[in-house]
Amino acid sequence: MWQYEKKLQYPVNIKNPNPALAKVIVSQLGGPDGELGAALRYLNQRYAAPCREVQAVLSDIGTEELSHMEMIGTILYQLTRNLSMKEIKESGFDVYFVDHTTGVYPIAASGVPFTAATFQSTGDALADLNEDLAAEQKARVTYDNILRLADDPDVRDPIKFLRAREIVHFQRFGEAQRIVQDMLDSKNFYAFNPSFDKPD
Amino acid sequence: MAILNEKQQLMRRIQQESFALVEANLYLDSHPTCPMGLKYFAQHKKEYDELMEKYAEKYGPIKAGQSSTEKKWGWVTTPFPWERGES
Repeated sequence: MWQYEKKLQYPVNIKNPNPALAKVIVSQLGGPDGELGAALRYLNQRYAAPCREVQAVLSDIGTEELSHMEMIGTILYQLTRNLSMKEIKESGFDVYFVDHTTGVYPIAASGVPFTAATFQSTGDALADLNEDLAAEQKARVTYDNILRLADDPDVRDPIKFLRAREIVHFQRFGEAQRIVQDMLDSKNFYAFNPSFDKPD
Repeated sequence: MAILNEKQQLMRRIQQESFALVEANLYLDSHPTCPMGLKYFAQHKKEYDELMEKYAEKYGPIKAGQSSTEKKWGWVTTPFPWERGES
């Protein structure tokens, strides 16, 4: 189960609303490499993990992703406060506004709503962990691109924190992959699926 | 950076300790017998527990379970962290 804590993992305090920026940052909420997809990927994959260490890594990183989803939601909320209709029209935020007003909705910057079609749960720990390593790199790239688009230090600071977490998670998933490989036939890591075939 | 009031400073300290615990937790998941990692976690856990208790006493609950149950449910008397200046 989960228990909520009334605090952000890292502070978000944005002075100046900026709907144009919200329109691109929303991708890290509901886009193909966003925090919601990350949380659901790891929290669903963990049942197929063949040992406690890897079950723990997937549970705990999945949980941290939920707190990142909250940070992105907070960034979007604060970037879209007190907007005039003129600002909404001129920033291009109108295409989001028409469906969601300033509500926080998981969607890619391209307009595609959140979909589970962007991730897998294969039931094979090695296949899943290799996807997870790629997922952390792809999320890191999205944060790199957000940092290229954002000038406001109030926005850049929490985005830099989130970018750094992708790199730490990549490291931990690499260790999880090594733990699973060490459990298998070292001459052929892919001889069997440790989650399904369970050879003696 | 904006000047932080006493409540915000205490929240920052909790966020720091909480982050140390998250980092150590993930590391210990894949290195469960590392003596330095275990010691690091234990040290920060103690600090975190003390700060959480201090904050709840002075400014209200961070977890619903810390809420006052005397006259009014404490959980709904304090702001949520997406408001500016609250986290």
